Amino acid sequence: MNNEKNKLIVTKIEDGTVIDRIPPGKALRVLEVLGIDSNYPYTVALAIRVRSKKRSLKDVVKIKGKILSEKEVQKMSFIAPGACVNIIKNFEVEEKIKLEIPNHVEEFIDCLNPNCVSNANEPIDSSFDIVSKDPLILQCIYCDRIMEEKYLSGQL
Amino acid sequence: MKIEHLFSVREMSKKDIFNTFSLASKIEQNPEKYSNSCKNKILAALFFESSTRTRLSFESAMLRLGGQILGFTSAKVSSAAKGESITDTIRMTNHYAHIAVIRHFMEGVGELAKEFATIPMISGGTGTQEHPTQALLDLYTIHKEFEDIEDLNIGIMGDLLYGRTIPSLLFALSKFENIKLHLISPPALRIRDNVDFRLKETNLNYSVVDNMKEVIDELDVLYVTRIQKERFPDPTDYERLKDVYNIKSSDIENAKDNLIIMHPLPRITEISYEIDALKQARYFDQAKNGVWVRMALILKFLGLDINE
Repeated sequence: MNNEKNKLIVTKIEDGTVIDRIPPGKALRVLEVLGIDSNYPYTVALAIRVRSKKRSLKDVVKIKGKILSEKEVQKMSFIAPGACVNIIKNFEVEEKIKLEIPNHVEEFIDCLNPNCVSNANEPIDSSFDIVSKDPLILQCIYCDRIMEEKYLSGQL
Repeated sequence: MKIEHLFSVREMSKKDIFNTFSLASKIEQNPEKYSNSCKNKILAALFFESSTRTRLSFESAMLRLGGQILGFTSAKVSSAAKGESITDTIRMTNHYAHIAVIRHFMEGVGELAKEFATIPMISGGTGTQEHPTQALLDLYTIHKEFEDIEDLNIGIMGDLLYGRTIPSLLFALSKFENIKLHLISPPALRIRDNVDFRLKETNLNYSVVDNMKEVIDELDVLYVTRIQKERFPDPTDYERLKDVYNIKSSDIENAKDNLIIMHPLPRITEISYEIDALKQARYFDQAKNGVWVRMALILKFLGLDINE
């Protein structure tokens, strides 16, 4: 009975995205990166530091009316590695994506080196190899510059 | 056929390096034999940044091979001054020449060139990143002197932060065994973390030293570099560090008998003129060796070294 009493009930969404198993405390950052603020016109449910079935803490975000793009999924993988993105259509899970830091990333991160050719007016996108996932270290494939996680937060 | 380019020494195996040296040595012994090897071939020298030795020695190398050259000597006299991209310059060059040398003040031009070049391209230096042909002629000079590149005690001194010859030389040395290496610089000019990161993937270990005096008596090779004025973001830092090293003959009194002193040149004040006449000085030999090594590289990257 006690368990039932403490249960958090959040209604199912018809269409949208549920991001589950977000590392505890990161849910607000997830919303920020997805550009969801108080002006977002649909329902957003946010749970911070709730118990998972495995008894560990997690954050959960439910967003009605939004399907994450491939680029947004890639961004999420840096903010919430290990989380699970569920794409919901007609109240059913249509696709599940486990977020893992990729081995390579392009486009949405700029190289920190102002003298890198990827920051010049050339027809190329930025491109990084992930040389370490824990701690997170990226290396620009153009100029070889190393970027640590602390330099990434402003760019995601 | 896959077009090959040279923008990092890391792209060359030890075998590639020795094959290049073997050909360079044959050319050095009998240059006339190769005087028509590149007949009807054109080398484009795309120098977006100033150069004396690299450009002249590449041009000399191509002319000695019987080929022809075209190009520009600074970004100001090319359409880069009008805002044309590096990519478009490369696309044009694909139609004008059979092989190109490119020097640019930006880092990353090598990977860019690999995406758009349909002719072989060789780096003449890219920003602070690398200068692979310099490292190859440096190693060729060491190889000629010691007949091997192993079991040597090497000190590399000067601007290790901004000097682009340094990463290339370190990556090249990392392919050889039993190198005892000392990196001598003021704390503000140590090697960059990305270079250190790459070196950690290799077997090359090094000690960090502030003053040459701590190691001069053990060295076989003292490799000196210029403090790179043009790459300092803050000119006052350059003023503070520009004269930090100035080698005089008295500084090498305790050195081993077989010590050689190398420098990629240009030198400013880091090696006194009085060293030039000493038996240890090798920097002008390096510049001369650059011609043989670059002749070998032109043949290699044009695919004309097969029967050599």
